Amino acid sequence: MIVAKLIDTTLCIGCKACEVACQEWNDQEYTMGTFDGSYQTKPELEYNFWNLIKFNEVEKDGATSWLMSKYQCMHCADAGCLAACPAPGAIVPLANGTIDFVHENCIGCGYCITGCPFDVPRLSPTSKKAYKCTLCSDRTAVGLEPACIKTCPTNCLTFGERDELLRMAETRAGELKADGFADAGVYNPQGVGGTNVLYVLKHASEPEQYGLPKDPVIPWTVSLWKGPMKWMGTFMFWGTVLGAFFHFVIYGPQDPEKHGHPADKAEAPPKEPNDKS
Amino acid sequence: MTNPEAEIRIPRFDAYERVMHWMAALSFFYATLTGLALWSPKLYWMATMLGGGYHIRGSHPWVGIVFAVVMGVMARRWAKGMRLDADDRVWLTRMHKYATHDHAALPPSGRFNAGQKMLFWTQLAATLALFLSGFVLWFPEWMPRSLRLLSIAAHPLAAIGSITSILVHVYMGTAAVPHSMRAMLRGYVLPEWARFHHPKWYKTWRASNDV
Ligand code: HEM
Ligand code: SF4
Ligand code: SF4
Repeated sequence: MIVAKLIDTTLCIGCKACEVACQEWNDQEYTMGTFDGSYQTKPELEYNFWNLIKFNEVEKDGATSWLMSKYQCMHCADAGCLAACPAPGAIVPLANGTIDFVHENCIGCGYCITGCPFDVPRLSPTSKKAYKCTLCSDRTAVGLEPACIKTCPTNCLTFGERDELLRMAETRAGELKADGFADAGVYNPQGVGGTNVLYVLKHASEPEQYGLPKDPVIPWTVSLWKGPMKWMGTFMFWGTVLGAFFHFVIYGPQDPEKHGHPADKAEAPPKEPNDKS
Repeated sequence: MTNPEAEIRIPRFDAYERVMHWMAALSFFYATLTGLALWSPKLYWMATMLGGGYHIRGSHPWVGIVFAVVMGVMARRWAKGMRLDADDRVWLTRMHKYATHDHAALPPSGRFNAGQKMLFWTQLAATLALFLSGFVLWFPEWMPRSLRLLSIAAHPLAAIGSITSILVHVYMGTAAVPHSMRAMLRGYVLPEWARFHHPKWYKTWRASNDV
């Protein structure tokens, strides 16, 4: 069963209880940020801060409004972090759809940061390993819901079977449309095969306004590197090794005795020192 | 009979050049193995062999820096002599003659033949690309995303190019051209070798040495 998290952005009141729950459950120390004139806790995710409520200030019809969104790992079906990671077992896709990071196996290369279309993983400056939301894999493994879901006071967050949540999300989007939000819809980007974090947005055609990328895909340079380039490298390596080997088998080494001299016939060398014959 | 004690030796690479060359080779070899381990989970066993992934993630960039510095030293020493002359340009168009041992059809080479010169320039260009893109990949937290996306494809691409050309180079230096290894290990060659492989170089040597 694939599990998912549904975020109904219309119900978020910005209380940040989920941020606190995440920090507490994962036992992360809070590092002070800078105050930048926003209600948002931090400008971005950090290696020890995996769940960020974004207070997106948007001008709409002459009024400023907050488009709330919860930012964290999306647990993509086609995960760019996983595609980019060279270390076996450092990024593990669980049977329930969670993309889990196993820090013992992480080598700290940071490729997952570049592979992720949502710019989610972060390297710790001390351990030099990559961190992000684990969808509370240590809770879901024993049948508990993730900490953020558990704590949310408004039912903005729901956890459950993905297909079920997708239906709920569509229903909710339908209600919003009926209420006059013609652009309401579900955020479940297909470029990464769909995500296990789903959103209901009032302005679904402009997810950027919520700080979500419009058409996320695994970056093409990453696909090139992990796809055709691997074939090319393998081909060039074995082609050259076999080419050299068979060149030797067919032609053998260069031999001054047999192979005739270059056009400019330089004077023959003396046989022994001071032999000027 | 030629008395080995009395054989004529033409100095080819001095100690500075030999040390420089083998430092490039060793650092390149290490960077290649660790780099391949960082390339693909299938080649990760190379990392296991060399102390584990976490360790090689730390060492690969430093060894890369050593390699880049040595290549800088090599460029200072050899760049001038590696310029292609008119004969070299003709040589390149007849490379197949070289590969099939039809040496009589080739224009004479100087201290380095055109193939060696091309290897040198290829390596130098690849080193520059590897150095710049490698630096970006070293510090993903501090680098803009666009640069990282470029580097993550450019670094392995440059590596494929340089590894392939080094494979050819190693074949030439070990099996295909007998006695060239002596030049790089001991520093000298015999006159017959010089005359066959590098006639113009041999002539200059002859002219300035009374043997
Ligand atoms: C373990 C691998 C290597 C072996 C066995 C090897 C062998 C040799 C030999 C025998 C020569 C002397 C050729 C002559 O006398 O004309 C030579 C020259 C040279 N080597 Fe290497 N080499 C190796 C790796 C490298 C690497 C990694 C680089 C640079 C990235 C390099 C760059 C050069 C250059 C530029 C020259 C002078 C031009 C030439 O001979 O092509 N070599 N090498
Ligand atoms: S959002 Fe990023 S880190 Fe999370 S699964 Fe997708 S690619 Fe990986
Ligand atoms: S930093 Fe860790 S998890 Fe990320 S790609 Fe590298 S080894 Fe994989």
